[in-house]
Amino acid sequence: MRIAAGVDVGSTQTKAVLLGDNGERSILARALVDTGANVRKAAETAFDKCCQIAGIPQSEVGFVVGTGYGRYKISFGNAQMTEISCHARGAHFLCPGTRTVIDMGGQDAKAISVGPSGEVLDFVMNDKCAAGTGRFLANAAEVMGISLDEIGPLSLRATRPVKIATVCTVFVESDILSYLSQGKRAEDIMGGVHLAIAKRTLSLARRLTIEPEITMTGGVARNIGMVRALETVMERKMLVSPDAHYMGAVGAAVFALEKLGESFESSVWREHAVSSGD
Amino acid sequence: MANAPVSEYRGNIHQQQKELMEDWYQQLDHAADGGDPPTVSMMVSGNCVELLEGFGAVPIYPEVNALQLAIRHQSLDPILAAEDMGYAADNCAYVKADIGCMLKGITPTGGRMPKPTLVLCNFVGCNTYVKWFEHVAAFTGAPLYVLDVPFLRGEEPSAADIEYVVRQLKEVVQLMEKLTGRKFDFDRFRQAVEHSRETEELWSQIKHFSQHQPAPFDAYFDAITLMGPLYVYRAKKEGVEFFRSAHAELKSKMDAGEGIYDQEKFRIVVEGPPPYPYFRAFRDMFAKWKACAVASTYSTVGGLWEFGFRHDPARPFESVAMHMLAHNVTNRNYLQRYDQIRRYVQEWKADGVIIHFVKSCRLFSAGQGDMRDYFTRQLGVPTLYIESDLEDPRYFAEAQTKNRIDAFFESLEHAKQTSGRAVAV
Repeated sequence: MRIAAGVDVGSTQTKAVLLGDNGERSILARALVDTGANVRKAAETAFDKCCQIAGIPQSEVGFVVGTGYGRYKISFGNAQMTEISCHARGAHFLCPGTRTVIDMGGQDAKAISVGPSGEVLDFVMNDKCAAGTGRFLANAAEVMGISLDEIGPLSLRATRPVKIATVCTVFVESDILSYLSQGKRAEDIMGGVHLAIAKRTLSLARRLTIEPEITMTGGVARNIGMVRALETVMERKMLVSPDAHYMGAVGAAVFALEKLGESFESSVWREHAVSSGD
Repeated sequence: MANAPVSEYRGNIHQQQKELMEDWYQQLDHAADGGDPPTVSMMVSGNCVELLEGFGAVPIYPEVNALQLAIRHQSLDPILAAEDMGYAADNCAYVKADIGCMLKGITPTGGRMPKPTLVLCNFVGCNTYVKWFEHVAAFTGAPLYVLDVPFLRGEEPSAADIEYVVRQLKEVVQLMEKLTGRKFDFDRFRQAVEHSRETEELWSQIKHFSQHQPAPFDAYFDAITLMGPLYVYRAKKEGVEFFRSAHAELKSKMDAGEGIYDQEKFRIVVEGPPPYPYFRAFRDMFAKWKACAVASTYSTVGGLWEFGFRHDPARPFESVAMHMLAHNVTNRNYLQRYDQIRRYVQEWKADGVIIHFVKSCRLFSAGQGDMRDYFTRQLGVPTLYIESDLEDPRYFAEAQTKNRIDAFFESLEHAKQTSGRAVAV
């Protein structure tokens, strides 16, 4: 069996996935750690954990592709790809009908048009601003004194979601405090927060031609409130894989496997394969 | 990056350009002693350098001063000095860098800048310049003439537009005669227009060399090297000689099949000026992918000549007016800019378009979102939109910019592998 790995070093969390191919491709293991300050260490820990879970020695992993902002810090990686390519490839692997990917991570929100082979046709991202990202939700949750896991389900109980005027991750705090002082319900405030992000994401995605099927990826995809809010504003059903959070790592592992099978080649990663830094 | 490919071609033209530009700064330094030669502060876009030749005057380009500061990583201090004085964060960063230099008494090269004989605000396509040049006049105490060039509303300027600009040019002549005490030398002016015509013909042919595969030079990054002599020396014998030499050098590269990389992998068209504070890092992001710019709109800011316009010594005033009105990218309407880029993509055989949005220049950048839609949706041309600034280093996020550029070329590469084609035009 050919075994390859993808390691996605995100701004908040680092994900690793092992992918095996014995005629049929399958995910062998997945691991998740907080990125923290030591990016290199986070990548090593996630990869190590993943191999332990699968019971496979690291030496049996034929090729490792790193992705995410910390991809060039992965000392053991053979090559690097951007998370844009990896999310598209991962979504195509797990949901082959995917034509649009909405990826919401800790500091990034992006929309990607995907071709029938999982290739990126076009993409747009938020620019130098954390509005519409996981960080926005995390700040809102912190102000409300609620855990991140709770805010999604809580938002679904909103009956009269408030209007959040700002999309600024910093100023949203004062909006929330203002609504709290007016005695608004926590459910309605969180409902408003989720809708605000969903609308911002929609305006981002509209710069592309949004075609079904739409697959949501990234850590925020675990938030059921965000998925529903996006479905509401986009008037479309979202596909959410149980591995949505790992999608970048899955896509990186798919590229790594294709490299082993010689069905994919990049002009650039050969250069990176011998390069330890950037 | 540990093993980036060699990203640029360094030829004789680069050394000659350096010498010419140093000579220009020396002339300005010399003029600071007492007004000889006369100097005129002017805007690059649609500049009327030919007219200055009639007085033997030398141009001062505040934009060139600003970009020289940025490329030397010295723009932030003057920008902050201007902001301390009250210039807003959203003001044009070129303006703030230039004003900041005056406040701090510095110049980009360390040489002196003269008090201009005239501050000539030829505000082609940029109304911020009116205020900028008013401030330059106020800081230097030099007289100001605002040369009003109407925006190009249709395909061609009207006869009234041309007459309106010609009359102003003649007023400038009268004013300069008063200010310098020199008689306008019409024959020298006509000769300057003839020099410009020759330079423009050479430059236009050079621009067309990059239609060749591989392109013998980068029509964005290397074109910027050639833009200095184009705007300062176009109307002089030295300019014609420089471009004759550049033409020979680049033609021989083209004939030998030499590109700027060992193998040209991608051909791109670039819209917008570069982030000068990170010029090298930005160029390397394209070099990594062996991507060569085959055309750029920025290299047509001072004049758009590759589609046929030339100054005309038989009608010197009228052709200077035509150049200012219709043949520089910033005074043309947006649909014309779309068409210019479309022609580049098709006739220069490009794989995609890069749009660089300049945060502190809304006038140039507003509408680029729609431009992206036009190319991706209507023409099916892969188009990347990135944001930073041409002068203010605070707006450049290196990791984010690199990520977008890498993703764009990854997608082009995947497209080539999956469909065997790079572009849908």
